[in-house]
Amino acid sequence: MKKYLLLFVTFFLLTLSVRAQFEIGVSGGYVNNYVHTNAGYRAFTQYHQYGGFVAGLVLQYHFNDWLAIQADPSYIRKSYELRRDHFFDGIYQYNLNGYLQLPVMAHFSFGGEKWRGFVNAGGYGAYWISGRIQGAMANVFSSTPDVPANQQTPDYFRYNEAYRYDEKYSFDSRRDRRVEWGLVAGGGVEYLLQERFRLFVEARYYYGLTDQQKNYMIDQVPRYNDSYVLQAGCLFNLRRLFHGDDQ
Amino acid sequence: MKSPVRYILPLLLLMTMACRKDLPQLNDPQNYVNANFNEVFDAFWTGMNNNYVFWDIDTVNWDQVYRTYKPLFAKLNVNDSNDVRKAYTYFKQMTSGLVDSHYNLSFADTWLADSGSISPAYLRKRSSPGFHAPISIFHFYDTLPKYYLDAGRRGFTNTPDKQYVAVAGTIQQNILYFFFNGFSLKTLFNTDTINGVKRVEQYFFDALANRTDLKGIIIDVRGNPGGDLADLNFLLGKMVTQPLHFGYTRSKLGNGRLDYSPWAPAYVAPQPGSKAVTIPIVMLADAWSVSMAEMTTMAVKALPNGHFVGERTWGANGPLTANKFYNGGQFSTSWLTSVYTSSLMFKYKDGNIYEGIGFSPDMTVPYNPAALKAGRDLQLEAALSLIH
Repeated sequence: MKKYLLLFVTFFLLTLSVRAQFEIGVSGGYVNNYVHTNAGYRAFTQYHQYGGFVAGLVLQYHFNDWLAIQADPSYIRKSYELRRDHFFDGIYQYNLNGYLQLPVMAHFSFGGEKWRGFVNAGGYGAYWISGRIQGAMANVFSSTPDVPANQQTPDYFRYNEAYRYDEKYSFDSRRDRRVEWGLVAGGGVEYLLQERFRLFVEARYYYGLTDQQKNYMIDQVPRYNDSYVLQAGCLFNLRRLFHGDDQ
Repeated sequence: MKSPVRYILPLLLLMTMACRKDLPQLNDPQNYVNANFNEVFDAFWTGMNNNYVFWDIDTVNWDQVYRTYKPLFAKLNVNDSNDVRKAYTYFKQMTSGLVDSHYNLSFADTWLADSGSISPAYLRKRSSPGFHAPISIFHFYDTLPKYYLDAGRRGFTNTPDKQYVAVAGTIQQNILYFFFNGFSLKTLFNTDTINGVKRVEQYFFDALANRTDLKGIIIDVRGNPGGDLADLNFLLGKMVTQPLHFGYTRSKLGNGRLDYSPWAPAYVAPQPGSKAVTIPIVMLADAWSVSMAEMTTMAVKALPNGHFVGERTWGANGPLTANKFYNGGQFSTSWLTSVYTSSLMFKYKDGNIYEGIGFSPDMTVPYNPAALKAGRDLQLEAALSLIH
């Protein structure tokens, strides 16, 4: 798989190298994902944000010095946490969801030669490719030694021992909607280095418009991903990289 | 240069216009006011929608139930006794196919005081061809000791909820027999005062610990409706020295019908002073062995020396506790005293879920009222033949 990916990237770089208006690069960064939902009347239970990462390619096609179209094929972790508190403190689950994602954005840049600001805005499509669940739950069949009559108990695990798990998430085709569409916007600054490389940092927001679940029940509580990304990357001007500074 | 703003603004506008579905407000079923049947229905339907743990395997279409019965309840008057009785019928119809065999609806309305609670599993079994009444408790307390036990103890204990009965003894000198009609063994054994069941338990545990000439053990849970989960370790934990894996449980994790925790392994944990019993252990269970009686049977069957004789069990395998502990299961509304339903789903170690089906014996011996009347217990005799 890695070999094919490397071949594809090399071929892509070579074919692009003759087209001066293309830039290609890599980026990666930190993701803080919130799931927009609610826990209803579940006792002592809340959903929380959870960290992840994003890594991928950056492809830019420049129409002029301030407008380009950008696509970032990437892998992104959009995770969230379900946690209980008070007497149920210690019961939690991390849903670590991996997506292959393709944001396509208009790239607006402004400023000087070396330092420039930019704004990205557009939409994205993503495919929920994998999932992992990690957590702890009370195991009803794993009872602990009896609590002496004169002692109080700090948490539920004192009655039923914790079952700790870290396993692959099993998709349920009746419920899980694996294709996600949404909007994306971001902004950042870039620095031109040796006329060939542009280093950038960017803050980006992905606004999911697709419920993670199919419409399978009345009174379904939707789950939408809200992903905040802080990333850095480098773009290569292929023509200058392979053909020098001649215009 | 054209201003980028002319492109950015429409995109931002598109973003703000793009909409998501609203998050529905889910209310605790207990908080609905039973002032009309709209509220009574919504409380029940919502409670089931979010708390019932078997939606994964249940064949009842709960959305269709909503579409069918919501308008019917809307026509009823909660202060009209005829309508209240009609509502009772609707509740019976709505729940008739539910797979949860613990399931039981009881009503707070005084006009239904003379109407029994609704148990879909019981109603289904009652109309099935092989249905029979439970074996009389006097068979276990009087007849069986008289015809089969050479020595032993029997006793009973009255509690506010139930009369517990237990019998233990030996058959053919070296087969240890233990019958009890409910799972409260640990509680009754740990009471300060001596009681009839405790004495029987003590006899059984002493024989189990001290006798080296035993050829087999028979644990009789026929007619046993279940009880405390803690009894599993308390009883079988004395017969194993390693954790005995026999199944898995999972609970609800969110409000969605298919939002579940992962499967957690179910074990029998060895108790202090336990010994590895290698002689045959035979479970005697029948169609009236429910819940803990079934789980105990399943656990014994997971042992290499475990056997099961009798009839297919009732089929109620999901453990029960208060709703808050596992975020699902039983609940109540202002009109329903109790919607009694499992808190967790149980899966046997073979990967099958026997909820609503029952666990099958490896030696089937049907209920035989004529033989019982004549003082013969063919199921017990089959268990004895397995040991010999």
